[in-house]
Amino acid sequence: MLEALLEGLVLVLQWKALAFMLLGILLGFWVGLLPGLGGATTLALMLPFVYTMQPVEAFAFLLGMHSVTATTGDITSVLFGVPGEAASAATVIDGYAMAKKGEAGRALGAALASSLVGALVGAVALAAAIPVVRPLVLTFGSPELLMLGLVGIAFIAALSSPGGRGMLRGFLAGALGLFLATIGQDPQAGVARYALGTLYLWQGLDLVPVLVGLFAIPEIIDLVVRGTSIASAAPAGKLSHGAFEGVKDTFRHFWLTIRCSLIGTFIGIMPGMGGAVAQWMAYGHATHSARNAEERRGFGQGDVRGVLGPGAANNSKEGGSLIPTIAFGVPGSTAMAILLGGFYLLGLVPGPDMLSKHLPVTFSMVWTIVIANVVTVIACFALLNKLARLTTVRGSLLIPVILVLVFIGSYTSNNHYGDLVVTLLFGAVGYLMVLAGWPRAPLVLGLVVGKIVENNLYISMARYEAAWLTRPVVLVLIAITVAVIVYPLFQARRRAAAARA
Amino acid sequence: MHKNASLTLSALIMVVSGYGIIAATAWPWKAALFPLVIGVPLFALAAAEALWILFGADPASEEARDFQLSIGKDTLRRTLAATGWIFAFFVAIVLLGFPIAIPLFVFLYLKLQGREGWGISIAITLGTWGVFYGLFDLLLHLPFPSGWLFEWFGSS
Repeated sequence: MLEALLEGLVLVLQWKALAFMLLGILLGFWVGLLPGLGGATTLALMLPFVYTMQPVEAFAFLLGMHSVTATTGDITSVLFGVPGEAASAATVIDGYAMAKKGEAGRALGAALASSLVGALVGAVALAAAIPVVRPLVLTFGSPELLMLGLVGIAFIAALSSPGGRGMLRGFLAGALGLFLATIGQDPQAGVARYALGTLYLWQGLDLVPVLVGLFAIPEIIDLVVRGTSIASAAPAGKLSHGAFEGVKDTFRHFWLTIRCSLIGTFIGIMPGMGGAVAQWMAYGHATHSARNAEERRGFGQGDVRGVLGPGAANNSKEGGSLIPTIAFGVPGSTAMAILLGGFYLLGLVPGPDMLSKHLPVTFSMVWTIVIANVVTVIACFALLNKLARLTTVRGSLLIPVILVLVFIGSYTSNNHYGDLVVTLLFGAVGYLMVLAGWPRAPLVLGLVVGKIVENNLYISMARYEAAWLTRPVVLVLIAITVAVIVYPLFQARRRAAAARA
Repeated sequence: MHKNASLTLSALIMVVSGYGIIAATAWPWKAALFPLVIGVPLFALAAAEALWILFGADPASEEARDFQLSIGKDTLRRTLAATGWIFAFFVAIVLLGFPIAIPLFVFLYLKLQGREGWGISIAITLGTWGVFYGLFDLLLHLPFPSGWLFEWFGSS
């Protein structure tokens, strides 16, 4: 175990892996800063470029990039009230209020330092979970893996939109993803399903063009519609002022930061829940940790604890969400779903092998999260003042460059014009989904786990017939799925009854 | 707008899943099992959503936790312009190939849509093309075919 841990560190410190990690950090740094280009979108854009890399280099690149987007996403949340990432929205409430009070530097210092603590807690949780997770994984057969896939979709479908109507749309999107995963030659009978007479669709829908279309195209269209710079109302002045005070705040409220980090890790482990959920739960905990009404009143007016909580949680969730992705092949978020695609591109199969044969590769991911966050926080402190100016770049200068990346990213996944058509089609679907208020994450999760669910359904039916439904772990997972669906509905009903009373 | 989009999506899903169910009935059970297991509930969920739009309430608070599209006085025109540029870039790639379509698109977008100056337009065009050529061609050796126009005229 210790040997694998050290081997992981050595692997990630090799010059090529380190160079790719630094490149990833540089990209993630920008992506986090620029609202409109999310971390998940960038992962999808960069996925085709890992084909020729070794697994350690590829994960150093992808994880290095992804694990810093949440950190730098907090910067625009604090400075402009514009979340750089979906997972940085909760930082806006107190961070922006602090900036308006002339405490932008302190808020940024707190956000960056708590992000670092959160990332370290998440990485330690990931490393600590490896020996515990291994025996658990080995007891999981096809029926349990099938149910895990369905639990993941139930989680994300139930939580990505509030209320009964939102849940219906979540499940609709999840089922659509599962259905789209059936396109292509089926693994059992060899029938070319829904191939529309084209050879291109025999291998099924490629994940990269679908994701690039679904996420990037609607955001590009919105940027054109806005017709402005991404963040045009930057407050003037030296923004780095008071940053060290924010670092001291992190240690002044150290246990709150640790508790929020643990909340983020836990949410990360739960399949289907992402950073957007983690940060709000951490913010809620930070609010509840106030001892009296007087203390609580500061929240929303610029209380540093309202920055520390979400900052810690949205970084610690990365380590947490890697646990089910690596151990079970069940991604905890959209970004992890895309990263899961990276595993398959590199010929790695998540599951027991990642915890035995490829354990050093798994530990290299832990080290990547740690090193990437340390490098980013140091760089942020050094560049705090200049960084802010990046978000005032005119949208008209960014859009053509982003579009070039979109089309190259899609095309290089199969070197086929069909990839571009798929990107445009899913761009239209993504735009309609955003316009209609439908969640996109369940569709992605459905598409990613579709093949896994189908294979395990077939094996379960062939091996156990209907008896697989009575296995103890399957029954527990069915109960969790039912609870995930019923509990939010029950909560909504109770709230409505309380409001009426 | 939002209701129409939801109804359009629901109707599209009903058509796609309906076709999927009918097509699957002609396959051996091994191939048809999963498409039927998913296709039937998908059709039912899409029908439920469509009926909810037509006959039920539409609470805005139950929209996805996702970003909201900007709405302004010029939204439709700008959306059509954005869609037009994206589609034009796709057509240029297919007809002219990436090496020509990229600088052409970047330059025209900056000049016509962005109304940027000559200097900055040329600089960004050259920079983008330089990164494309240096990274994807020289470094990664990725194959980018010449466009259909060149194939049709036999000069590829």
